[in-house]
Amino acid sequence: MVGQARSRMNDTELIREAQRGNRAAFEELVRHYDGAVLRLAYHLTRSEQDAQDIYQEAFLKAYRNIGNFRFECSFYTWIYRIVTNLCLDLLRKRQVRKEDSGVTTDSEGGSYDLLDQVADARSGASPERDLMRRELGARIAKALQKLTPRERMVFEMKHYQGLKLRTIGEMLNTTEETAKNTLFRGTQKLRAALKDMR
Amino acid sequence: MNCEWVQQNITLYLYNELGDDARHELEQHVARCTNCAAELSEQQEFQVQMNALPVEEPSASFLAAARMRLQEALETAEQARPWYHRWAFDPAAWLRQVRFSPALASLIFLIGFGGGIGAMYSAFGNGHAAHVPSTPAEASMIGGITSIEKEPGTDNVKVQYDKRLPESVQGSVSDPKVQDLLLYAAKSNENSGVRLNSVDALTSKADDPRVRETLTYALRYDSNPGVRLMALDGLGSFVKDDIRVRNAVLEALLNDSNLGVRSGALHALDPVRADSSVRMALDQLSKEDPSDYIRTECKRMLASMPSIY
Repeated sequence: MVGQARSRMNDTELIREAQRGNRAAFEELVRHYDGAVLRLAYHLTRSEQDAQDIYQEAFLKAYRNIGNFRFECSFYTWIYRIVTNLCLDLLRKRQVRKEDSGVTTDSEGGSYDLLDQVADARSGASPERDLMRRELGARIAKALQKLTPRERMVFEMKHYQGLKLRTIGEMLNTTEETAKNTLFRGTQKLRAALKDMR
Repeated sequence: MNCEWVQQNITLYLYNELGDDARHELEQHVARCTNCAAELSEQQEFQVQMNALPVEEPSASFLAAARMRLQEALETAEQARPWYHRWAFDPAAWLRQVRFSPALASLIFLIGFGGGIGAMYSAFGNGHAAHVPSTPAEASMIGGITSIEKEPGTDNVKVQYDKRLPESVQGSVSDPKVQDLLLYAAKSNENSGVRLNSVDALTSKADDPRVRETLTYALRYDSNPGVRLMALDGLGSFVKDDIRVRNAVLEALLNDSNLGVRSGALHALDPVRADSSVRMALDQLSKEDPSDYIRTECKRMLASMPSIY
């Protein structure tokens, strides 16, 4: 709790400096959060290019509007609110265009299957086990497509990013109760989709 | 506790979102009920399966590339000015405009508003000086020193500064002009007495979301505990309906350095003591808080809670 309070004070000073136009302070603030932002964007979009675009847009938006940040929430919640809205926009666009296959693109435009990148760090992992894991990964990726953008977002933030439902509610500008119900619906859909694929 | 409730809450249980009491009861139920135990086992397996798509840390080169791209974009990005800067005087921004806009300078000179009117004076070592404020009262009229230029080879120095002209406005707190000044003062004034009086005046208008935001800011960040207490007084009746207020009051209970503010926050949370986050905080504080008073009060509030079943 002391560590959190200290870190919050540090952010406060950096935010105030950034609000005065100090770009170095803003860049320092970015470094406190950008790894987590990129991790979220990359895991959700499974595309290096899209993840970089979301990263860029989120922090540029934050820089342009930091003068309007009124400290009614933490900077963490504020930046994540921006990031989740950008991710939701992308997921909705993909839904309309029926994208979101297992193939992704890197920042140079080359395509590859993300699951090729999922390395098995255990020594002596067998090729058969590796293949089974990759197949399961492909089924999961396909099952995630059955969720609405919002359900996918809540599931991503809860299961993969480990955020509390109360925090997720704040970031999505809704209540904890609504986030709970969305998680429940998404989980049910995923379980049903995985069962169907067996 | 029935099976329907358990099955609906197993997901929350596995994600550690249930309160201590509910978690304990669920575990007790599952130990006795084979159907629910099977459901728990299936959901545990599901969670393990979902981890076949692991979250990976971005590589150092990926992150570095993103940072470089952002840095380049920041060089040309512009910040939007915040709402209260519409009324506050920013000498640096004003100077930039006046350099190219003498007509604008004259207009600003004529209008003025509370915080600043720009004027340029030069002070020279040879006595060709405009009037320079010399007493403390006159020195307080200085809005800021904007530039200092030394004439090479001489002891002459040119000092450009802005001068303040005091203004006042009187009216109801509902008057937007008055309210804007109060909102600005509550956040920006160096004098804690002024901030205290601003917050005091604003508490009667806490039903306005803008005012609540400012009061929340004061509760979170003001350096003076009296100001924070005053803000808390104004926010107390909104903990039920405004989640941001509830969060700020909860943070004050957990993190404020002043026991008076923490006690005030604790009592302000009484109407929402059944909220899961509040209950968790009360539970933790009842065991670990260094203050006897806080521990005792938390225990009392927990004991007075209705059963969750």
